[in-house]
Amino acid sequence: MKEFLMNNLSTIIISAILLFIVVSVIYRRIAGKKAGKSSCGCGCSSCEAYSICHTVNKK
Amino acid sequence: MSVKIALAGNPNSGKTTLFNALTGSNQFVGNWPGVTVEKKEGRLKKNTDAVVVDLPGIYSLSPYSLEEVVARNFLVNEKPDVILNIVDGTNLERNLYLTTQLTELGIPVVVAVNLIDAVEKNGDKIDISALSRHLGCKVVEVSALKGVGVEEAANAAVNAAKSGKGTKPVHRFSERVEKTLSRIQELVPLPEGQERFFAIKLFERDEKAVASLSIDPDILSKIETYIKECEQELDDDAESIIINERYTYITSIIDSCYIKKNKGKLTTTDKIDRIVTNRILALPIFAIVMFLVYFISVTTVGSYVTDWANDGVFGDGWFLFGKGSDAYEEAVGEYERSAAILEAFEAAAEEAGIEPDEAIDLVATAEIYDDEGNLEETILVDYEMYSQIGEIEEPDPSDYGTWIPGVPVLVGDFLERANTAKWLQDLILDGIVAGVGSVLGFVPQMFVLFLILSFLEACGYMARIAFILDRIFKKFGLSGKSFIPMLIGSGCGVPGIMASRTIENDSDRKMTIITTTFIPCGAKLPIIALISGAMFGGAWWVAPSAYFVGIAAIICSGIILKKTKLFAGDPSPFVMELPAYRMPTLTNLWRSTWERGSSFIKKAGTVILVATILIWTLSNFGFGENGFGMVDMNNSLLAAFGSFLAPIFKPLGWGHWQGAVASLTGLIAKENVVGTLGVLFSGANEVAENGWQVWANMREVFTPLAAYSYLVFNLLCAPCFAAIGAIRREMNNAKWTLFAITYQCTFAYAVSLVIFNIGSLISAGSFGPGTIAAFVIVAVLIYLLVRPRAGSKVKRKAIASA
Repeated sequence: MKEFLMNNLSTIIISAILLFIVVSVIYRRIAGKKAGKSSCGCGCSSCEAYSICHTVNKK
Repeated sequence: MSVKIALAGNPNSGKTTLFNALTGSNQFVGNWPGVTVEKKEGRLKKNTDAVVVDLPGIYSLSPYSLEEVVARNFLVNEKPDVILNIVDGTNLERNLYLTTQLTELGIPVVVAVNLIDAVEKNGDKIDISALSRHLGCKVVEVSALKGVGVEEAANAAVNAAKSGKGTKPVHRFSERVEKTLSRIQELVPLPEGQERFFAIKLFERDEKAVASLSIDPDILSKIETYIKECEQELDDDAESIIINERYTYITSIIDSCYIKKNKGKLTTTDKIDRIVTNRILALPIFAIVMFLVYFISVTTVGSYVTDWANDGVFGDGWFLFGKGSDAYEEAVGEYERSAAILEAFEAAAEEAGIEPDEAIDLVATAEIYDDEGNLEETILVDYEMYSQIGEIEEPDPSDYGTWIPGVPVLVGDFLERANTAKWLQDLILDGIVAGVGSVLGFVPQMFVLFLILSFLEACGYMARIAFILDRIFKKFGLSGKSFIPMLIGSGCGVPGIMASRTIENDSDRKMTIITTTFIPCGAKLPIIALISGAMFGGAWWVAPSAYFVGIAAIICSGIILKKTKLFAGDPSPFVMELPAYRMPTLTNLWRSTWERGSSFIKKAGTVILVATILIWTLSNFGFGENGFGMVDMNNSLLAAFGSFLAPIFKPLGWGHWQGAVASLTGLIAKENVVGTLGVLFSGANEVAENGWQVWANMREVFTPLAAYSYLVFNLLCAPCFAAIGAIRREMNNAKWTLFAITYQCTFAYAVSLVIFNIGSLISAGSFGPGTIAAFVIVAVLIYLLVRPRAGSKVKRKAIASA
């Protein structure tokens, strides 16, 4: 077991980092949606519909 | 003491610019009326006790549209401590109409004459103290854009609020009207401080004012008698009497306060508009402008930067400032040529069963390919040529200049040195780097597009497009008002769909929601750039055609839908004030471009990253001979799923699993189409060494016609989930949402089928069931476009019998 871990340490660490990124992206998307953040493709401060968008989401 | 300052003014008078200057916010500022559709709040920079509320632009306190209702309700019901009324100094006469109403609300008013720099530039003069005297309130000069007078305006507003004294209107109507107003005030108990405002509103028969006061019907009928008496005496209706008298008053103010240098002469904006909005020239100019927008951003300027991103950043690497690039390219060309010659000769010798050194009479054929996999040259190689080349060594780029390795090289080296497992290296290089990199490779083009669109918005041309298109839209029963959401939708479909709520007519609003996403949003740009650059070699017409296909789809859909009972009816009237042309500030342009562009980078690093990992996993795992595990891509789970879907798209020319799967992943985000294709083609045929090679692999599967059909399908079909969610919210009905999505997908399918099959007939003479289906679709489309409108027969009969 120890030998396996030592031989694959880099693979395990990088895989764990990737897994962490994936989980955190999914978590943040879900949390953001619950918090009323929009998931659209433009930045809020450049958006003409910023105020109505977030008003809708808050409802 | 906490102070609430309301920013009120006409649309496009600079309220949001002043709001940003006062609060340090970065709210979107557009040079067209109606940018602000909801109120926004912020705190004053130098006095955090003061809250500034930016209201949507209104022309008067008699609201007609949703945003006008928002502004009026706030001013009348929430009673801010002070109103900071922004008036456009270059258009004082029209702006003062609202001012005369605001001074009747019983709230302190400070007038900020904005665009004072433009007034001075025109050589005009405004007598501020005389204006202040006439209006009965403090007047300050401001240039919100340049930050001139902003602090003074803020201080004046705060002081006026602290004084607590409501502005007393100086203006008096004619004696007859004033008499009626007094009689109304005597009859009805009106809200304190707002007696005059409500008396005038009751005189105007303002329904909202009547409803808010809950007046006894008997009293209402008495009021009606007073109004009718007054109307008879003055020979006009009550509302017109008030409007006319207000304008007479405003004209007298202008005469005494405003000295116009070029009275009666055309302004620069007028002169430009004579050409730009000309009945004949407007459309060709619009077509040229939009052609240039996409041509510059996708085919020329954007393309150079994207080439660098694809070949350099997401390829082998690049030379710092390009120094040494030419010499290295030459050396590489020489090396590849020599290597191809040696390889061809040695392969031919091996085939002949002799040693190359002994093949004196042998002649081989060497083929030289370019980076994109195109055959460039064919060379006949004899023994003499082979022996002259001798030993060759691959040139090292660092010998020619400062060489910066590309992301795949750096990541690959790192993973190699870290001794990671092969599957992880494949996942990162062929999955994440290829997928995310393929999307990021097109970001430069996106930035150029956003920069140009921001410029067109800020300078005032975009507002003209709505005006120009209204003329065409009107002919087909559509409203130019629908173009505003489409204009916004060119950045992102979600706010575009949301902006449709300013359209009062329900059927027009629904139709706009359905068609807004036909305009290519920023996320679709990578698809356009990919097809244009990789499939058509950067042909000049491909990228601009994507925009015009969108416009044509909107017009055709509008005509088709308007002729159904669901959408029948006259279009909403479209009244729009054309803003003056302005040279946008670099800060505003950059902020708008960066906000939009950086969101895509962020999305690539989050949603697209997760999606590419999923795509890579599904495309590399499946059931093989030894059970579940890593398999060849064509035997993967994704291939099995894609192959199930692929036959649906066969009539469109791209009935292969990769295309079907990529289109489906576009539902997550449209740029994911490119990301998925990047993953699926990075390891196909030849392992791609740079971004463009991925697309060379893709050309093996897509013919140019199929690629164009693919582009059109992905432009017109259902948008991403975020936009579908926005459709659902705005429709507020699941059935209507389903209708919208079904219509979009069916329309996209039909158009793509026609393009591929009729295109195949014209270009290759191929005829089959698809061609017949294409002609049937064309016939049906023509019928739907030219048939009479639903209900028109009934209407005609009714007219005839009358």
